[in-house]
Formats: sequence, structure tokens, C-alpha cells
Amino acid sequence: MAPKKDPRAPIKKAEPAAAPAAAPAPAPAPAPAPKARPVDLSAVKVEFTADQMEDYREAFGLFDRVGDNKVAYNQIADIMRALGQNPTNKDVNKLLGSPSAEEMANKRVTFEGFLPMLQTIINSPNKAGYEDYVEGLRVFDKEGNGTVMGAELRIVLSTLGEKLNEAEIDALMAGQEDENGCINYEAFVKHIMSV
Amino acid sequence: KFKPFETSNSSAYPNAENSHLAAVLIQQWYRQYVARMEMRRRYTWHIFQSIEYSGEQAQIKLYNFLGYLMDNFTPSSDERKLISHIFRENEVCRDAEWERYFCYKNIEVPDIYSGPRLRFPLTAEQAVGLLEAFRNKKQQLHSRYVLQLLLETWKLLRMLPNISRIATCHSKEITICGDLHGQLEDLLLIFYKNGPPSLEKPYVFNGDFVDRGKDSMEILLILFAFLLVYPTEVHLNRGNHEDHIINLRYGFTKEVLSKYKMHGKRILKLLQKIFSWLPLAAVIDQKVLVLHGGISDSTASFCAVRFGASRRSSASWPPINDALTNPRVINPPPGLNRLLRLSVITRRSCKSGPSDPLRFGRPRDGRLSFCRLQRLGSIKAALGGSNLNLESQCVLLCSILDLLWSDPMSQDGCIPNELRGGGCYWGPDVTRDFLSKHNLQLIVRSHECKQDGYEFCHNRKVLTLFSASNYYDVGSNRGAYVKLGPDLLPYVVQYQASSMTRELTAQQRYVGQTERSALKVLREQLFSHKSDLVWAFKAFDSDDTGLLSVTDWATAVESVMRLGLPWRMLRSQLVGGKSGDGLIDYRRWFDELAIKGETRSCLLETLYRHRSTLETIFRIVDTNNSGFISPSDFRQTWKLLSVYLKMEITDEAISELAVAIDSNRDGAIDIDEFMEAFRLTDKKSRLERGRSMFMATAPDLAALDPDERV
Repeated sequence: MAPKKDPRAPIKKAEPAAAPAAAPAPAPAPAPAPKARPVDLSAVKVEFTADQMEDYREAFGLFDRVGDNKVAYNQIADIMRALGQNPTNKDVNKLLGSPSAEEMANKRVTFEGFLPMLQTIINSPNKAGYEDYVEGLRVFDKEGNGTVMGAELRIVLSTLGEKLNEAEIDALMAGQEDENGCINYEAFVKHIMSV
Repeated sequence: KFKPFETSNSSAYPNAENSHLAAVLIQQWYRQYVARMEMRRRYTWHIFQSIEYSGEQAQIKLYNFLGYLMDNFTPSSDERKLISHIFRENEVCRDAEWERYFCYKNIEVPDIYSGPRLRFPLTAEQAVGLLEAFRNKKQQLHSRYVLQLLLETWKLLRMLPNISRIATCHSKEITICGDLHGQLEDLLLIFYKNGPPSLEKPYVFNGDFVDRGKDSMEILLILFAFLLVYPTEVHLNRGNHEDHIINLRYGFTKEVLSKYKMHGKRILKLLQKIFSWLPLAAVIDQKVLVLHGGISDSTASFCAVRFGASRRSSASWPPINDALTNPRVINPPPGLNRLLRLSVITRRSCKSGPSDPLRFGRPRDGRLSFCRLQRLGSIKAALGGSNLNLESQCVLLCSILDLLWSDPMSQDGCIPNELRGGGCYWGPDVTRDFLSKHNLQLIVRSHECKQDGYEFCHNRKVLTLFSASNYYDVGSNRGAYVKLGPDLLPYVVQYQASSMTRELTAQQRYVGQTERSALKVLREQLFSHKSDLVWAFKAFDSDDTGLLSVTDWATAVESVMRLGLPWRMLRSQLVGGKSGDGLIDYRRWFDELAIKGETRSCLLETLYRHRSTLETIFRIVDTNNSGFISPSDFRQTWKLLSVYLKMEITDEAISELAVAIDSNRDGAIDIDEFMEAFRLTDKKSRLERGRSMFMATAPDLAALDPDERV
């Protein structure tokens, strides 16, 4: 398609939502309602600074491959991740009102529609840091010696949680296992957090 | 707060709850990592693509400028004399005389030459032998055989119609390849995976064989050899880079002169003719249209004629009714008339046409002054049909430009392609109408680099195909070719000419490495606009603090650079430090990008920014493609440039520049050496020699060590 920089369809600069200039990441709000009820996005108060809005707008624009100033439902999770958030796919599905596969591929959302979604995720309590990742991996450290078995990790990642496929796991673990198939997990976490 | 894990006994199996949480945590992290990489990849891509297209735009601007010179300077003026030869139509025109000029017969091939020795008519074995010579032994074909092969190719092409008609029959599959851009590795890879052309294996090559890559010549030789051996199975379409003026800028001219020091000029001249004789499109089974750029809402008329006409006839064309109301005829895009004048037109050689260059009137009150078109005698002859009225001819010429330069867009409609400077953007409605009008089902085109080597759009009615992998940088994209069987369902094959396999670590390496390249190029661009940027910054910094907020910085940068890039995202990579409160110290920023030996900052900066144009002009002025220009022409060129840039370049400044250059050969100035003066020194990392997006891209041509006798 024609490259993004395009005189025909300038990205509409909406007025930034009225935001208190001082507030960076707002304090965590209580966790969203139980699974059954869809998230009411209109009730979410968007509290981003002007700077943050511009950053998000840029990222949003990068993911718009069609040039209509919107992104598809199935890109929302990735944009949020690119912006430093960590939603699970389940979290995002809930936000979107549990759409069908067809809707995920075809429905599109504007930047203004995206903002309350992002705000919801930012407000939610799951913020893991280095220690949490190390703790998470320590769970599999049977011998308490600072390493985990690569093979075991593979099984866990492909069968539990939001499963990764084989290629993803290979990519994730590439070059991490030593000759005994063990991974030093503190080094691993340092490595993955550094890129 | 984040739910902590329950610590388990070291010897017991971790409980299910913890395992699950741990898994989710790692998976979340991984997905975030992938998303971040994807974003970096995307903006890296944007950088390369924006800069590539703005280079093409600069080229069209150059055309406009040269055209402006032709219009506004008297014929006797020095400036015009310098460049008028490229518009000159009074060259020897008869084919027989050209054949004498290109004669290879008295070029001797020394015994010591170990490359292929061709015998004509070429056989399949010889074509394959040529492949082997280039691939395995890295040999260069002797100029005698080059000229001979090109001559035969030229003879053949003159007999071909504008649009090739191809039929799949029985179970034959046709293979279509996109842009190759001098990347021989990719062509070899395609032939390795798919087999070279043969009676059972027809091919269509969809243009842009040359420029940027370092083996454009070898690619042409291979394609032409197979064309001669299998004229009904091999089809070549012209691309926008099959154009001798574009080649001046994007490296092909330089490559030929470097590889063929003695006979390069003749080879280039012959290639110029060959390019103008390449067919413009191909139609497979009357259902699939293959062409380099694309279509527009006015190619309907053009194609209607050509599809209807039999292959070799020059039948009279039906009147084209919509010509006068077509807004693009009435108000052609600015680059159009100039571009047409220079290279696109000569489908057929002129027969003693007028010696004036072609003149299009500048649009007055929105209409072309058709009376000026009276002098288009050579166009008439060029089109081979005297029944065309002038308006129709104009529509035709618009169409040719569209075919080679247009890009698809997602919105309906058809608008001038300002990004490229030529052709148009066309929308899905135009595709729909075009396909139904001509009873076609698919358009296969190239012209745009795609990360996966291909991309469908317009409801899968348009397929973009790009065959130069790693085009922007190693790992940037795959290449692809497509196969069509009698069912005409496209089957795409992807590849990547690289020893790197696509693992995450390789991906990491690619993103990091390519990103660094892209940023390097971008820093160059920024530096070369320093004055404008400082001026724009000052507009936001009325108190002259030297500091700017990120938002103001990004806005100012975009207003100057106009590349449509995500500047905020790039900021941390482009600007080293910033002050504690998040503001950017823009004065210190420019210190990080310093051009070596800088004395007169403003002039040098401007020249640096326009170095590609400067080089192109030099090469134009160098009429016989020797690689050198005389000191007086050198001065004249500067005068020309000062008009173009609308800035004063004093004689004194020119003398200083000339002194800085090592002159040899009776004081003639070596263009390459002169351009070497414009190398950016980035304090963070030195720019690699020769590998610049803006010069001839061939990395070290010196490394080729061409045989002096060849």
C-alpha cells in the first residue's frame, strides 16, 4: 500500500482529552468487574498527559496498515504491549467484549476508542518487575541452585496459561540453555528485560 | 499489588497454581517483547522507505528543473548547452547507423580471457554457462560479447509489441518475478529453487532489474541471454528504473563505467535504446495483467486499444473521447511533461524528427496549450500511428507514466502520486472498474518493497511482488516470486538470500543492525538540514533557551523533514542526552553530527543535502560518460546548481572546492573523488565507505578489480 506519509489522509489530531497535566500513571483502580459483565469503556476516565497522548498516537499510527486511522481488534493487544503494558490476551478480549474470531480480524477501532482500553489496562494491578519474573522462574528451580530445566520450561509454556507454540518457545529460549539443558534464570531475566 | 508466589519446598513439585502463574508471566513478557520488536521493525522500515521515496521525488524535481532551464534559458546560454544533449533528438536516428556505432567486431578478446565466449545464435547451454560464470567463478563477460548480446537483444525487442500476450497451455506454470535491483544473489536463488527459464518454464520479469544493487549488469546479461534463447517463454517488462536518467542517480551508470572502462559509454548508449524498447506490460490468458507500477483511471483507454489490437499491427486507434475532460490531461502533475520528454516516450525510434526538443507548454489557465504540441512530431512517429490526435497522444503518455510509477492506495479514487513525483495513487474502485472493463481478474505489479516479498490488496485483486530480498538492509525483507498455472490462482514462493535463518536471535540481530543502519541514514538526513532545523527550533524557542519540549522538537523536525516518521519514538535514538526535566538541548545535538573538514557550514550543508542531485547533474554534464568533467564545465555546473538551489555560489567558493579536489588527467575533475568529499562523520560511528542509500549503492566497486582489458 502507499506509504504512511500521505497528503490524502492526514492523521486527525483530535483535541487531547482534558487531562490534569501533573498526573503520570494514575494510581491503580480496583480490578475490573467479574468476567461475565463486559467492561464499560465509556465509564473509564482517560487521564493521560498531552505528551503521553502524542506517544500513544504515534504508536497507534505505526500499526495502522490500511491508512484509515484505525487498527484492527487483533492488533490492540500488540499495541498495548509495544507501549510497555502487559495484558494477557484474555484481558484484551474482555475489553473488546469477547469478540468472535471474525470480529477480531475485521472490526477496527479509532485512536479515541483505543484510549479508554489502554487506560483500563494501565489501571489494572498486574505490574511485574524483575523480582517477579525471577520468582516466577524460581518456582521451577527444583534443586534450588539458580537453574531450571529447559525441557520442563518448554512443557509448561506450551501447556499452561496462554500457550506459546513451538516456534515461539524456540525463539524465546534460543541460546539460553547450557550444555546440560539448564537455564540460569536470573541471567535469563536480565537478558530478556534488557532488549 | 502483584500476587506473590507461594514458595514451595525445593523437593516438591511446584503447585499447580504457581506453575500456571509463572507460565502466564513468562508468556506475557514474551508477547510484550515481540510487540516491541515489531514496532521497532516498523519504524525502521518507515525510515528506509520514506527516504527512498523522497529520493525519487528529488529526481523528479531535478527533471523539472532541467526542463525549466530548457524553457527559460536561451539556446546559446552556457547552462543550457551543458544539458541540452539529453533532450536532443537530432542524434543519428536510423537503426542501421546505430548498429554501426555499436559494432563489436573489431574488439579483440585476448587469449588470457577466461570468461564465457559467446557464439550467436545463443543456445540454452550458453545461457546456463553464463549463469555459472557469474555465480561460481564471479567472472565478467567481455565487452565484445556484451555489445553483441545487447545488439541482438535490441533487434529482438524492436519486434515485440507494447504489451506481451502470454498463454498458459497444458500444464505450464508461469513464474513472475518482481524488482531485482541489481541483486544477483536473488536471481540465482530463484533459478535455483524454481529452475531457469526453458520451454517448460516460462517467466515474466516485472521491471527494475538495475540500480542500487551491485550486479545490475550481470542480471541484465542473464535475462537478455535467456530472452534470446527462449523468446516466446521469457518476457521482460519495463520498470521505472529502466531509464538512463534515473540510472545516473541510482548507481547503474556508475556500475557500467566501472566494470567496462573502455567500452562502457557505448554499452550505456545501447542500453538506453534497449530500455526504451522494453515492453510495458504482459497479459496472461487475457485474464492477468502484469506490469511494473500500476494503473490509473486513464489507462483504460490506452489498454483498451492494445488488448484489442493484434500483436504486430499498428492499427489506428479509436478516438479517445474522455481525453479533454480527463483532469490529469488538462492539468498534468508537475513532473509529467518533463519526465516524458526525457525518456519514457521512445517506443519507436524517431524518423528524422524536428531537432528541437519536445516542448510542452506550461499549463495556462488550467489547460495544456495544445498548439505547442504541434512540435510533437517525434512523439507521433514514436507512437507509430499517425491517426492519433494530440490529445490522445497526451493521454497515452500519461498512461505510460502511470504504468511504471503508480502505487495502490486503500481509499477510492485516483490522485497524483506526489510522493514519487510521477504516476498516481489508485484506489479499489479504479481496480474494480478497470478489471471489469477489460474482463481481467488480477493485476500483478511490483515497484514497492514489501516485508514478506509480496502483498495483496484491493480485495486480493492486486498483488505486489518484490524479488529483491534484504533490500533495505540484511534481514529487512524477504523476496518472493509467484507461479500461475492454467487455473490462474497465484501461488507465492518466498525466500531470503542470506545465510541467516529466521530465529528470534537472528531477528534480534536484524532489528538491532538494521535499526542502526536506518538511524545512521536518518542522522545524515537530519544533519544535512541543520540550518532549516535550527530555524524551525528557534520558532518554538522564543526565549532562546536552547531547550525544547519533546512535542515541539518533534513538530519542528517533521515540518522540515517531511518524512512522516514517528519522531517521538525515534527521539531517544537520535538525540543523545537531554536535560533533567525532559527537555532537548538542540544546540548540543548538532555537535554530535559533524561533517569532517567543515569550513563554510551553510554552503557545504546545502551541497551535502543535495549531493545526490549534484552527482546526477555532474553525470549529465559528463556527456560521454567518462567519469570526468573539465574545469570549465565544473564551474558551469556550479552556476547551474546555484540557480537550482536559489543560492549564491561565488566563484571564490567554487575555486576553494576545486582546490580541495585532487585533480589528475589534465586538470579534469574526477566525479567520484569529488563526491567523496561528502561523507558524514558521525561521532558515534563512522559511515561505511560507499554504502549509502543516496549514492550509487554498490559497496566497494574498487573491490571488483575489473580487468583493464575488458
